[in-house]
Amino acid sequence: MATPTTTTSSTTGVLAADFSAFLPKASVITDEVGLRSYECDGLTGFRQVPAVVVLPRDAQEVAACVRVCARHGVPFVARGAGTGLSGGALPVADGVVISLQKLRRILEIDVENRRAVLEPGVFNLDISRAAGPHGLYYAPDPSSQQVCTIGGNVAENSGGAHCLKYGFTTNHVLEMEVVLADGSLVTLGGPTGEQAGPDLRGVFVGSEGTLGICTKVTVRLLQKAEAKRLVLADFPSVQAAGDTVGDIVDASIIPAAVEMMDSLAMEAAEAAVGAGYTVEAPAALIIELDGPADECDAQFEQLTAICERHGATRIHVAETADEQAKVWKGRKAAFAAVGRISPDYIVQDGVVPRTRLSEVLARIAEMGSEVGLRVANVFHAGDGNLHPLVLYSEAAGEHDQAEELSSSIAELCVELGGSLSGEHGIGADKACSMPAMFSEDDLDVMKRVRSGFDARGLCNPGKIFPTPRLCGEKPGKYQAHPLEEAGVIERL
Amino acid sequence: MTTSSATPTVTPQSLDDLRDAVREHTGPLLVAGAGTASDWAGTPEPGATVLSTASLTGVISHNPGDMTVAVRAGTPLVELQEILGEHGQRVAFDAARVERGATLGGLFATADSGPLALTFGSLRDLVIGATVVLADGTVAHSGGHVIKNVAGYDLTKLLHGAQGTLGVVAELILRLHPTPEATATVSLPTPLADAATHAHAVAASPVEASAVQWLQDGSGGRLLARLEGTRDGVDGRVARLRETLGAEAPLLSEADADAAWAAYGAAVDGGAQDRAVVRVGVTPSLLTGLLLELADATEVTAAPLTGVATLSVPATAAAVDDVHRRVAALGGTSLLRRRPPGRIDLAALGPAPTSAALLRAVAASLDPDQRFGRGRLAPWLPTGVTA
Repeated sequence: MATPTTTTSSTTGVLAADFSAFLPKASVITDEVGLRSYECDGLTGFRQVPAVVVLPRDAQEVAACVRVCARHGVPFVARGAGTGLSGGALPVADGVVISLQKLRRILEIDVENRRAVLEPGVFNLDISRAAGPHGLYYAPDPSSQQVCTIGGNVAENSGGAHCLKYGFTTNHVLEMEVVLADGSLVTLGGPTGEQAGPDLRGVFVGSEGTLGICTKVTVRLLQKAEAKRLVLADFPSVQAAGDTVGDIVDASIIPAAVEMMDSLAMEAAEAAVGAGYTVEAPAALIIELDGPADECDAQFEQLTAICERHGATRIHVAETADEQAKVWKGRKAAFAAVGRISPDYIVQDGVVPRTRLSEVLARIAEMGSEVGLRVANVFHAGDGNLHPLVLYSEAAGEHDQAEELSSSIAELCVELGGSLSGEHGIGADKACSMPAMFSEDDLDVMKRVRSGFDARGLCNPGKIFPTPRLCGEKPGKYQAHPLEEAGVIERL
Repeated sequence: MTTSSATPTVTPQSLDDLRDAVREHTGPLLVAGAGTASDWAGTPEPGATVLSTASLTGVISHNPGDMTVAVRAGTPLVELQEILGEHGQRVAFDAARVERGATLGGLFATADSGPLALTFGSLRDLVIGATVVLADGTVAHSGGHVIKNVAGYDLTKLLHGAQGTLGVVAELILRLHPTPEATATVSLPTPLADAATHAHAVAASPVEASAVQWLQDGSGGRLLARLEGTRDGVDGRVARLRETLGAEAPLLSEADADAAWAAYGAAVDGGAQDRAVVRVGVTPSLLTGLLLELADATEVTAAPLTGVATLSVPATAAAVDDVHRRVAALGGTSLLRRRPPGRIDLAALGPAPTSAALLRAVAASLDPDQRFGRGRLAPWLPTGVTA
């Protein structure tokens, strides 16, 4: 994988001619430089130059592009903002990339029914910006929300820090217009979430672009809670922080978010943002509560008492919205900030049952010291979603060891009863680990569903499912995404 | 397993047993749980072997700390709630027929839900993993024991609402929520025409009602709003809710609240047995208008904030078709939920959606001979497809 190949000019020429029949010249990219900017997504170690990139302007043009691909039997890959972290938008050699960046209209903010109708290229954060004046917001908030698109969120079933209480993309999508692999346009889901027949919408969300291309989506909007409280608490050990989370849940409190950072992650974040973390603390929790004001206040008192009981060494209450934003900024900047304490790093995304957090962290630390590599931890503690950062030096020849450690961590999560991925997806990155989590029969049934949607396998092939070709080769070194270098996105 | 020969019924005792039964009985199969929805959706083609989940019951594993439970599909939800209740937990789900012993597998396969769907969604949102047996005997797992999980296709969703087609669900893994310390219900007498306005006022206030449900009754109708949370918190929110709804909206005593929700459940079940029951879903702002036009409807319940309603109509093809047609014209969804005995002429579904061909292709891929639930989704999945 990942060896850039030069595409055959004949494929490019034939396809380009067909696309140009209905797209303006500037919307059909065939030049080497133009194509190169689509060679990877946020997982930059995987690269492949496509034959053609097209930029349709509406659903009908997307369907027409897919029909051209279908006619020629050429694979195609849908692409939003390209911020994905698992190579889900990695092009296919001699294939077509269908960029949705021109479909970026907010079609409707329906205040009465609390929903938004969106084209796939709308940025996640722009939904809440548009709904905000009406007291509403869109709940799923991946850290890349300023620049990731709702179409990509649908493909990846994106989460974020607030999933524990509010759910994932799939819980907020009501209805979608989808272009299938034969170029037909269908509607999945409906205006209420009511179903007459199987939930095709549900299986499409999170299918990583392998079942079709979403060209329009209706999402639910929520009313902003009356009150929001945020605390940053330092703990004498990772164990104490983990136990605190357990006791919060046992006290029947469901926080809007519970995030944990270890000292290495805080050191990096503090160097980058200066959010007010205690770098010497072995672990810290960021806990956010929201709800009706009285109850929020009462639970907040309970919460700080639990923190104290577990020996919290500092409890900082972020009183104002500005202070709260600052704490979040540090948290969200943690990934990019790790670049300050290590020349290279790999971001992992795995899930364990929350009660096994301490155990998995101890095992990760052991595994790291066995191979002499440091691992920083930043994660969504409430739902057991870990983001270990494996720190290494490419120059010192540690790449392969780091890759191996990172994959072992994901597979360890499965061993502990969890999952290979909580929100970044499988894509090209983890397809080879899928047998650690699923039996051959499980994977075969998924492939049968896929063949029902796309019998010829033209829609984003080479993702999710392990193939000998994919799993026999190794990816290249991680390189920062240009948006990441610019500090616009973080890797989580 | 046990087999009865009168109506051929197989009652597997375990997952392996279920897989063997699917392999050994080569013809069509009809999955049966507690039988609380056996007349919902399409009429099954006669001659199928009944695959009963009556012995596939019980909790497989419950980890209170992770707030998840794995359970066999034939387990009645009321029984599971009792077990979970001992740990201060619950499945945040309250479809009316749960009280009548409905099984988790049945509630899941029929995409049922109750008033709490406003806050917690349906089982689609609460089930995080499943084990299913397909027509060729393949046993497949999807999802898992963690709430956050994006590895592989979410096959679990595909079985939700499949009405017993595609495969048989053997085991489910659910996410749990804490049992609220206190619950309170405020009731406002109001005709349907004004219910949505009041419901929106509740939604716009900060009280975060977990359920807002209108039901038709002898004196016109009433809007029930349920609050859940800590004792102090609920007391405070009841006061604020009553400020919103006005003095005519009393806080119900526990007994009155139970009676009110029981009346809601009875209305959902549909009243007189000779009438047909249809459940519909349309964009919430269109719901009142739709229901007001259906003058023959009785036992009407409406969730003004989610757009879901159930209603009882005369058991004639014309009356049922009229509902399906009106709902389809509004872009909504409708499903027949009770069919008086023998009335195979009543349409289960509205006009086929644009995704019908896709549904057929997926079904053909998972169950090429259409062994499971043949007829349940007719005519979207036509019954003529035998291999």
